[in-house]
Amino acid sequence: MLSTLGIALAILSVTVVRTISASFALTGAETVDAVVADAQLWVVPADGVTYDPEAEALVADGAPTASLDLPDGWTALRTVAGETTVNGKTVAVHGLEGVDAGTALVPSSVAERLGVTDGDTLSLGGSDLTVSLEEDADAGDTWITTSADVATTAVGDVGWWTVTVPAADLTRNDLGAVLAESTGLPTTTDPAVSPDAAGDGLIYDTVGGSGATTFEQRYSALFSGQVTSSALGLISTIGLILGFVIAVSSFLAAVHERRREFGIMSSIGLADEVLYFFLVESGIVFVTAWVVGVLGAGAAVALVIPEIATPLAWVQASAMVAAFLPAMAIVGALVPVHRLLQQRPVQLLGGL
Amino acid sequence: MLKYGLAYGLLSTRRRAAELVLPSLTTATGAFLVVVVFAMAAGIRESAASLGHADEIGRAVVLIAVTVLLVGVVEVAVATTRTISHRTRELGVLGATGVPRGPVVTALLVEPVISAVAGAVLGSVVAVVVSLVLDAVGAAAAGVSLGGAALGVLVSVLVSIGAALATSVLPTWRAASRPPIRSLSTGG
Repeated sequence: MLSTLGIALAILSVTVVRTISASFALTGAETVDAVVADAQLWVVPADGVTYDPEAEALVADGAPTASLDLPDGWTALRTVAGETTVNGKTVAVHGLEGVDAGTALVPSSVAERLGVTDGDTLSLGGSDLTVSLEEDADAGDTWITTSADVATTAVGDVGWWTVTVPAADLTRNDLGAVLAESTGLPTTTDPAVSPDAAGDGLIYDTVGGSGATTFEQRYSALFSGQVTSSALGLISTIGLILGFVIAVSSFLAAVHERRREFGIMSSIGLADEVLYFFLVESGIVFVTAWVVGVLGAGAAVALVIPEIATPLAWVQASAMVAAFLPAMAIVGALVPVHRLLQQRPVQLLGGL
Repeated sequence: MLKYGLAYGLLSTRRRAAELVLPSLTTATGAFLVVVVFAMAAGIRESAASLGHADEIGRAVVLIAVTVLLVGVVEVAVATTRTISHRTRELGVLGATGVPRGPVVTALLVEPVISAVAGAVLGSVVAVVVSLVLDAVGAAAAGVSLGGAALGVLVSVLVSIGAALATSVLPTWRAASRPPIRSLSTGG
C-alpha cells in the first residue's frame, strides 16, 4: 500500500519530466517540419538558425547565400525568416517572393496571440499590411508571411533556402551531396551540426543519410535531450531510484512478515512458487503505482504547466515510463525472495 | 499522559536508532534536492530559458523536487509500519495495562517525526554546503541565493514532518485501536 504510493510518486515525477521532454520533441518536429515542408534540402546561412521560444519558431541568424547553382530541374525557394515585435509580442516573419506586398498571412494561433483579426491593419517594417487569416495553417506554422521586400525591411536580410528536387530524383539518397557539389557548400544529415561561421552556409539533407531515424526525429531528439539532460532529468532519475529503494525495502518487510507461510511452502517443495507469488505481487504493486502515478502526472502538468504539456506528449511519456516497469517489478521481487530462499525451511518455520 | 507517551516514544526511538537510518537517508536525498533547487533557482531558470517557457520549467522543477521529497518520506511511513508490526505484542501489553490510545499513538509517532526531521536537516545541511562549495568554485552559473536556500530548508522540513505524520497516523491509529488480546496473541 505505502510502497505503491512511493513508487507512484516516483513515477509521477518521471512522467512529468518525460511529458515536458516529449512536448518539446513534438515542438521540435513540428517547427522543422513546418519550415522544410515539402522540400528535401534546407540551406541555412553561415550564422545558423535558432529556435526562438518566444516566437515559437525557427529564425535565421544571418543572410542566406546570395544564389544557389542548382542542378537541372531542381527548384529553390528563398525565404526571409527573422523576428520582430508586433503589438509588444515577439513574432517570426517569413518573406516570400510572390506574396502580395500589401497583405500579411497570419495563422489563427498567431493572430490570437497578437490580438489581430481578419482585415485588421498590421504595421510591419514601416508598411501597413492587411491581415489575412490562415484558418487551416499547420500546427508548426507560427509566423506571419508577407512579401520578401516587406519582410526584409522588417527583420533585416536574414533567411534560408529550401530546395525541392524533381520527382525523378526523389529516390536518391545523396541529394545533399549532389547540391553540395554544384554549390560548393558543405552538407550534413545531422541537425546537431551547426554551420561553420566562416563559411557560406550549410545544406541540411532532410531525406538522405543512413539510419532508421528521419531528420525531423533527430531534430526533435535535440529538443527533448535538452530537457532530460537538464536538472529536471537528473532530479526525476533520483526520484525513481528512491522509489525503487522503497519498493525493495517494503517487499523485504512483507517477506519477513510472511516467513512462516513461505517456510511451509518451501518445506513441501514449493520453493519456486514463492517466487511466482512475489512476482505477481510486485507486478500488481508496480502496475497500480503506474496508473496512479501517470494519472497524477496528468493532473500535475495540467495544473502547473498547461502551456507546455499536450495530451499527446503525456500519452507518449506514460508509454515511455511503462517500458521500464517490468524490469523494476522483476528485480524488486527477486531481491527479497532471493534472500528468503537462501534460508532453510526449518529456519523459516522456527523463527518468530 | 501525552507527556509520558512522548517520553516513552523517545526512549524506544533511541533504542531503535539503527532502524531510522534508511528512512532518514531517503528523506535527506529528497530534502537535498529541494534545497539545491530553491538555492539555484536562478541558474535553473537561466538554463531553461533557451528552451522557452522558463517560468513553467522553473515551476516544474520545484514540483518534481517536492515530489521526490515525498517519495523519500514514504520510506519513513514504510519504516513506521515495520516498527508497528515488530512491536505488536508491546502495544498489546500497553493496551492491556490500561494505557489509552492517545499516548500510544503519540509514542509511535515520535519515531517517524524524528526520522523525518533528521533526514530533512541532514539533507538541508549537505545541500547548503554543496551549494556554497559550488558557488565558491564558480560551478553555479547564476550564483546561489541564501534566501532561496532558507526557503528550501523551511519547505523541506515542513513538508517532511507533515507528510511523515500524514502517512504514519493511519497505521499507528489502527495498531493502537486493536483489542490488546489480539495484539498479545498474534504479534511477533
